[in-house]
Amino acid sequence: MAYLELTNICKTFSSVVAVKDFNLSVEKGQLVSFLGPSGCGKTTTLRMIAGFETPDSGSILLNGENIAPIPPDKRGIGMVFQSYALFPNMTIRDNVMFGLKMQRIPKQEAVERADKVLDLVRLQNTAKRYPHQLSGGQQQRIALARALAIEPRVLLLDEPLSALDAEVRVALRGEIRRIQSDLGITTVYVTHDQEEALSISDLVVVMNNGLIEQIGSPQEIYRKPATRFVATFIGTANEFQGKISSSSSVDCGMFSLESTRLQGMPVNTPVVVLIRPENVEVFAEKPQEVKHNLFEGRIDTVTFHGAITRLAIDIGGRSITADININGQSFLSHQQNVWLCFNPDVCQVMKTE
Amino acid sequence: MNNSSRWQKAISAWAGLTPFLLFCLAFEIVPIILLVRGSFLDKSGHLTTAHYVDAATPLYLKSIWNSVKLSGLTAAIGTLLGVFIGYNIYRWPSKRVQELLITLSDVTTNFAGAPLAFAFIIVLGSNGIVTQFLLQYLGLKIYPTFSVYSFSGLTLAYVYFQLPLMVLLIIPAFAGIKKEWRESATNLGANTFAFWWNIGIPILAPSLLAGFVLLFANAFGAYATAYTLTGSRLSLVTLQIGFTITGEVLHDPGIGQALAVGSLLIMGTCIAIYQVASNRARQWTRR
Amino acid sequence: MQESKQPEKGEVGKPGWLQVLTIVFFLFYMLIPIIATYIFSVATRWDKTILPEGYTLEGYTEVAKNPYFLITLKNSLVLSVLSVVLNLVLIVPTVYWVHVHLHAAKPLLDLLMILPFGIPGVVLALSLVQVYNFQPIHRSPFLLAAATVIFTMPYMYRSVSNNIEAIDIPTLTEAAQSLGANMVNVLTRVIIPNIFPGILSGSLLVFATVFAEFTLARLIVGASFKTFPMLLVEYTRKDGTIAAGLSVISFTIAWIVSLLILWVSGKGIKSTSDVIKAR
Repeated sequence: MAYLELTNICKTFSSVVAVKDFNLSVEKGQLVSFLGPSGCGKTTTLRMIAGFETPDSGSILLNGENIAPIPPDKRGIGMVFQSYALFPNMTIRDNVMFGLKMQRIPKQEAVERADKVLDLVRLQNTAKRYPHQLSGGQQQRIALARALAIEPRVLLLDEPLSALDAEVRVALRGEIRRIQSDLGITTVYVTHDQEEALSISDLVVVMNNGLIEQIGSPQEIYRKPATRFVATFIGTANEFQGKISSSSSVDCGMFSLESTRLQGMPVNTPVVVLIRPENVEVFAEKPQEVKHNLFEGRIDTVTFHGAITRLAIDIGGRSITADININGQSFLSHQQNVWLCFNPDVCQVMKTE
Repeated sequence: MNNSSRWQKAISAWAGLTPFLLFCLAFEIVPIILLVRGSFLDKSGHLTTAHYVDAATPLYLKSIWNSVKLSGLTAAIGTLLGVFIGYNIYRWPSKRVQELLITLSDVTTNFAGAPLAFAFIIVLGSNGIVTQFLLQYLGLKIYPTFSVYSFSGLTLAYVYFQLPLMVLLIIPAFAGIKKEWRESATNLGANTFAFWWNIGIPILAPSLLAGFVLLFANAFGAYATAYTLTGSRLSLVTLQIGFTITGEVLHDPGIGQALAVGSLLIMGTCIAIYQVASNRARQWTRR
Repeated sequence: MQESKQPEKGEVGKPGWLQVLTIVFFLFYMLIPIIATYIFSVATRWDKTILPEGYTLEGYTEVAKNPYFLITLKNSLVLSVLSVVLNLVLIVPTVYWVHVHLHAAKPLLDLLMILPFGIPGVVLALSLVQVYNFQPIHRSPFLLAAATVIFTMPYMYRSVSNNIEAIDIPTLTEAAQSLGANMVNVLTRVIIPNIFPGILSGSLLVFATVFAEFTLARLIVGASFKTFPMLLVEYTRKDGTIAAGLSVISFTIAWIVSLLILWVSGKGIKSTSDVIKAR
C-alpha cells in the first residue's frame, strides 16, 4: 500500500472550489511535486496534508493511519514555508532545535541532532547567529534543517524557492533533492515552476482550477501530456487545429499532418495536433528522403538562447516554432527560405473539448 | 572632481540646512544648554551645586516621587490594559469596526489637558454622574475616600490618554507577528501556550518595553491636566517647575533649573530606551 | 506566490463574548467623559440625577457675551496659523533638501525630531523665558510661537517625510526633465503636488495641537496673550456649564481636524509602488 494516500479530497472556500476529487498515492521515499498556476489548489492540498486546512470530504492516510483527526501540531510532518518563517528572536541552533524542544527531547540529545542536521545543510558555522544575519538562500536551508530535525514522516515544501534569485534557486533545488533522496524521506513539493518540478521529482501532479490534469513521471508529463492544458503548461508546443481525415492523418485546413498517434479515434473527430519545437527539423534545402510533414517556409525571427536557437518560421501564413542546435552552422538568417519537417511519431493528437 | 569643488559642493549642501538649524539652535538647543549650565551657577556666576542641594528637600523630593509614582503607575496600567484591548481590537472580525476603534484611539490619546480634566470632574466629581450612578443604583458611596482631585483621580484621568496610546503602539506589533511563525511553530509541535511563551511574547517584548517607556515619558512631562485637576493640591515636578516660572510662590529660579535638569535626565533615558527597543522590534518584524 | 483565489480563512467570524466585553469597557471609558461634557454644556441642573433636569443653551449665549471669548479664539487661531506657516517654511524645504541633496544629514534630522519628545513643556518654557529675558521678545507671543513650532516640528516632519519617501523623487524628476521641464517646473508641477497630502496632514495636525496648547501659552506669555485653553481653565474654576461649553468647542474642533486628516490621508498618499502595483 502506498505510504501517503489522498482519496477523493475536496475543499471549498465559501463558494470557490479550491480542490476537487483529488486522488493520489505516494510511495515511501518518493518526491512528488504539485505543479500548476496560481490558484490551482496545490497549496491548499498541501496545507490539508499538514493539517492547517480540513478537507470537506475525502481521506488522508499516512502509513495506513487516518491523519484527519490529528491536529497539525501532532502529525509529525515537517513543513518548509515560502517565506522561511524562521523565528527572529532565536539563534539558528535554537530555531532548529525548536521542534525537538516541543517533543521534550533532553537538551544534550537535541543539540546533537540539531548540529547533525545543520551539517547536512552545510551551515554548521551559523549555529550561534540570528536569522536576519543570513541570506535568503541560507535561511531557506535552515528552514529545511529545522523541518528535518524532527525526523518527520513526510516533508512538505510550499514553493520554497520562489523568493530566491534564479542562481540560488537552481543550486538549492539540487541540494534539496540530494538530501531528500539520501534520507529517503517522502516529500511533497509545491511549485509553479515547471522546470523545477521536472528536474527533481519522481512524480509530478499537474493541477489546474482545483482538479488534477495528469499524474506521471516527468518524462511522461513532458512527452505524453494527457490534456491540452498539460501540453501547453509544460514546455512550448506548436498547435494545429483540425479534423481526423484518416487513420493516420489530420486535416488542418491548409495542411495535412501525418501522425502515428491517432489512438484509433474516428474520422472527423475535432482534434488538436501538438508538436514540440525541439522535434522540428530545419533544412536549408529540400531534403530528399522525407515523405511526411514536409513544409517550405521563411524564417521570421532568430532568437539565440545559448544552447539552442529558437526560430519562428512562417509556412503559408502560420508560424512554427523550432528549436535547433546551431553547432557551427551559420546558414540560418532572417527571411531565409528553409524547409522543415517533423516525424509522425512526435505529433501528439488530442481531442478538443 | 577635485577636492576644492567637492568641498564647495558639501558646504553648499549643508548651507541649505542653515535656516532650520539656526532655528533649532536658537529656540531649543542653546536655551536648554544654558539651562543646564545655569543650574550649576549661583547668582554671581560661580559654579555651585547649591541648587541641587536645595532641590533635595522633602517638598521637592516628594514632587519627584509623586511624578515617578504617577508616571509608573499610569504607564503600567496603560500598558496592561492597552495590550489587552489592543489585542482584542486586532482580532476583531470586522475590518470597519477595527478601523473605527483605531481612529477613536487616535483622537482620544490627544485629549489630554484642561478639557479632559474638567470632563473627569463632571463624571467623577462629588456630584459627578458616575458618582451619582454608583450611589443610586449600586449603593456605593465612593466619596470621601475617593476624590477626583486626588492622586487616584489624576491616575484615572491620565490612564484615559495613556490607554489609547498603548493601543496604537501595540496593534502594529501584533500585526508584525507573521502568520507563518505561528504555523511553523504549530507544525513543529507547539500548542498555543508554547507559541506565545517561546515566540509571540519574546517578539512582542521590545514593543512592550518601548510602549511602557513612552507612556512613562508622556505622563512625566504632562502639565495641563494636572494643573486643572489638582491645582496646587498635589505636588508634581512639572507643576513645581511651572511655579518657578510664574513666580506664584517664592522660589529660587535655580531650583527650577535643577528640577528641570533632573526631568530632562529622566525623559532622556526614556527616549533612549524607546529608540533602542523600537529599533529591535522593527528589525525582527521587518524580515 | 500565494494562490490569489483562496479567500482568507475565517473571513466572516463573530467576536467572542470576552472580546465584546473588553471593547465595551474601552468604549465606555473613552466616550463617557466626552458625552458627559457635551450634555453638561446644555444642562440646567445636574447634580442629583443620571440625566440633567433640564436643558438650556444659556451657557453658550453667556460666554459669547464675554469679550474674552472672541479674543481668545482669535489669539488661538492666530497662534495656530502662525505655527503652521512657520512649520511649513522651516520644515518642508528642509525635508526636501535633505532627501535630495544631503542624505547624510538624515540621522541628524531624525535626532532633532526626537528631541522635542524628551523635553517637557515646562522645561522648554523655563529655558526660553530665562534666556530671552530682554525686550521685545521677552514673554511675547512670538516667543510662544517659536516654542510651539519646536514642539510641533516632529508632526509636520513625520507627515511630510513619509510622503516624500513614498514617492520616487529622483525618477520622477528625471522623467519630467526628459520631457522638457526645468527645475522650477519640476518642483511646482511634479514634486509639490505629490507631497501635498503629507503637507496637508501635517498642517492640520500642527493646527490642532497648537490650538489646544495650554502649558506653553500660560508659562511663556500668560495673561497678556490669552489663548482659548487658558480661558477654559479659568472657567473651570468659575462656571462649570460654560467650561463645559468651551470644552465642547475644543473637542469638536479636534474631531473635525482628525476627520479631515483621515480624509486627506485616505485620499491616498499615492506611492510609486502603488502605481506600479495597479498595472
